[in-house]
Amino acid sequence: MDIDTLYALRSSSGLPSHPAVFLVLLVLTWALHMIAVHVMLGSTALALTGAFSSNANWRRLAGPMLDTAKVAVSLAIVIGVAPLLFVQVIYDPFWYVSNVLSARWAIAFIVILLTAYWAMYHHYFVGKEGGSATSRWSLAVSLALLLVAGFIMHALTSQALRPELWMAWYAPEGHLETAGSGIHEFNLGRYLFFIVLAAPVTGAWLLGCRRYLDRREPRDAPYLDWIAALGNRLMTAGGFAALICYAGWMAALPESAAGFPVSFWSIAANASILLLIVIPALFRSASGGYGPFVTAAGVILVLATVREALRHRILFGTHGYELSTYAVNLDWYSNALFCLTFAGVGGFAIAYSVAIAWEAGKTPGIYTASPRVNRLGGFALAALIVWVAQYFFFGFLVITR
Amino acid sequence: MDNSMEILGLYPTWYQPALGSGWVLGIIAVVHVLASHTSVGAALVSTWLATVAVRRNRPELLEYVRRYGVFLLVFSYVLGSITGPGIWFSATVASPRGLSALIHSYVWWWATEWVFFFIEVIGIYLLVYLAGKVDGRSYLKIAWIFGLASWATMLIIVGILSFMMWPGQERWFTEGGTLNGFFGLYTFAQILSRTCFMLMAAALAGGLIAAYLRDGAFRLEMTRKLAWVGILGAVLGAVFFQWGLTTLPESAQLLMKTRLPGSFVPAMWAILAAIVVYFAALLVRPGALNVPLAAGMMVGLLIFGIWPEERARESMRKPYVAGQFVYSNQIIARDVPALGVKSELPALEARGMLALHPFIPQHLRRIGEGNELEAGHALAIVYCSNCHGLGTTGTRPFGEMFAGNRDAADIERFIKGALVTGNMVNMPRIPLRDDEAHALAQFIASLPLWHSITR
Repeated sequence: MDIDTLYALRSSSGLPSHPAVFLVLLVLTWALHMIAVHVMLGSTALALTGAFSSNANWRRLAGPMLDTAKVAVSLAIVIGVAPLLFVQVIYDPFWYVSNVLSARWAIAFIVILLTAYWAMYHHYFVGKEGGSATSRWSLAVSLALLLVAGFIMHALTSQALRPELWMAWYAPEGHLETAGSGIHEFNLGRYLFFIVLAAPVTGAWLLGCRRYLDRREPRDAPYLDWIAALGNRLMTAGGFAALICYAGWMAALPESAAGFPVSFWSIAANASILLLIVIPALFRSASGGYGPFVTAAGVILVLATVREALRHRILFGTHGYELSTYAVNLDWYSNALFCLTFAGVGGFAIAYSVAIAWEAGKTPGIYTASPRVNRLGGFALAALIVWVAQYFFFGFLVITR
Repeated sequence: MDNSMEILGLYPTWYQPALGSGWVLGIIAVVHVLASHTSVGAALVSTWLATVAVRRNRPELLEYVRRYGVFLLVFSYVLGSITGPGIWFSATVASPRGLSALIHSYVWWWATEWVFFFIEVIGIYLLVYLAGKVDGRSYLKIAWIFGLASWATMLIIVGILSFMMWPGQERWFTEGGTLNGFFGLYTFAQILSRTCFMLMAAALAGGLIAAYLRDGAFRLEMTRKLAWVGILGAVLGAVFFQWGLTTLPESAQLLMKTRLPGSFVPAMWAILAAIVVYFAALLVRPGALNVPLAAGMMVGLLIFGIWPEERARESMRKPYVAGQFVYSNQIIARDVPALGVKSELPALEARGMLALHPFIPQHLRRIGEGNELEAGHALAIVYCSNCHGLGTTGTRPFGEMFAGNRDAADIERFIKGALVTGNMVNMPRIPLRDDEAHALAQFIASLPLWHSITR
């Protein structure tokens, strides 16, 4: 596809803000999504290991990891909506073509994800305490399907970066192929890299859990130490595995990304993966802590930026596609609506939710909210009421004008 | 002609012969509507019940809210949260430019909905896992934040759906502004009717939980409470739905009268009446409630209520798929000066689809003797396959069109007389050049031959 066609494929409606705003949000929300995905994959794998293990610590860990996985799937899906929205907004030519060319897989993604989620719930309800033989397998099926869903997303992203091959995929030998049944492009190193990162991120998560559980009674020191050791091992070994996969990804990059493996961005990626490996030593985290998880989250954010830099290298560097030339039809109201809702309503409501869940989790018996937490809840509720009021205010204003 | 019309921004087509890509999207959308309506309605009902439970110190009611929440988590939230993006995925592959038109105007509204969705999902977890573990005042706050956030997701999506059908204000085309596209009388009618129908769906789903209650007196109380919610939801929802229909433009009303099957209106009234009778029967004999009955009513609502209603909404906006400027076959058919959007019909009329579509193979750009059938097939894929099966299967298949007439000249006359001129009220104008109309007619007339060659 030549550059004129790529530009023609952009929405003629333009954007309601400058594309850079969406780009930043895309990177940020994709990083958050991936953190949830990594915790989801890691905790599911740990719950599965526990379900099949005879080791007491592993079996004990399986329960909370299943609880974690269940919530992480929800969060991964919910947070994933945002990058899915933003990628359509600024990379619509690439994302839409790629999806149409593998339409059956895009639809299958929904069914696969649904089945994976319900399979996980099946294990949760039927076999939470270690699991019946069948429910353990349903958890295995769940993990396998989550990996397949991840592969589909990986393939759709990879295909989006090969506009030079689209026509050959859509009309092989000049004849239209409209079934959308093929997976046309993937990079195993890249796919494994983003999957393997689940190990260090979940390792960091375990170190955080170790610290959180440390404050709860009854305290079981040997079990907590075992959790910390497992977390440290996952971080180090997972980090090394990620380094190898990253090398595999870079080695298999297409011609259109030539030079990227030795670019500043790639060096930054390697450095951040190395950071994952040394986190256990850096934080001396035998007793756990929240620092490793915060650092791991920072590493994922760096990798999300590197991923974006690679996209830029291919689309701009090779194809000449300039994001900044996307037409803008500024819409002040909706810009303000999102910013204020995100900061005001979202900020208060999420802060209140996290605060009360955190405190209630640490308190034996019934937790009575502190005045500070109560105030936070009051602000959240008030912000919501104001939001609904402004909605109807502007609505009536528009229809009565 | 300006430079932007040298090539049009049309995407490849996904053709699904068995169902049609539109139906794939429709099935996912209908499942999503059931799940999302149930969850928003249930969020409102849960907020009300949690308030009563805390104020009157009724732990059994709190336990009901918790169990209802678990059901919602496993059913509505899993199904709703996956089929929601599922609609995006299926719209991406079935109607990329239709979705793109919505996304690019309403991205910030959708992002705002995402904030509420986030709060809602965390809220349902808190409602379930903190029941009985936090003080009453805090639990009430959690319930109200959850309920309002859930309703706010509906407030936003209803406006976007209304725009998809018809921009709220005609001035949107010239002045732009998402508010002008978002708000119209139809938006408010939708808010009212959907809120009521959501409560009705929540009452049906709540019956599933009530049927499991062991405490007889409490079970009867809950069944009656839900029955009242269900009756009010169904009756008021029907009233507001009727009002909503009167707010639609004349052309939509005409399409409703002429294009929907005669059974549509009676069927809608029948399902509503059945639901009201069901709830009324539960008021009289609450003990009759059981799981198969409640589950059966949910399935009935899905198949006989939501499916035809959503189909009707699809039909009423024809031939457009988004904002009355993007045709169902993805072509931009109207200027939107406010956004700088130009109709593509003049360019297509002048130069033809085969010359302007970026995903047409090079050897089909000019029609000649050797490629007529294949060019006709390409035109059918681009212009027709969003709404028609190119054989005997799928939606409105070509095999069943033209009353079985396979005479190419007759078909070409029909194409030129009805479609090129845009004389079919529910179909897009198809601005074919003469050679394109001829090729398309040849393809349609030769369908059995084409399928035997390409099988």
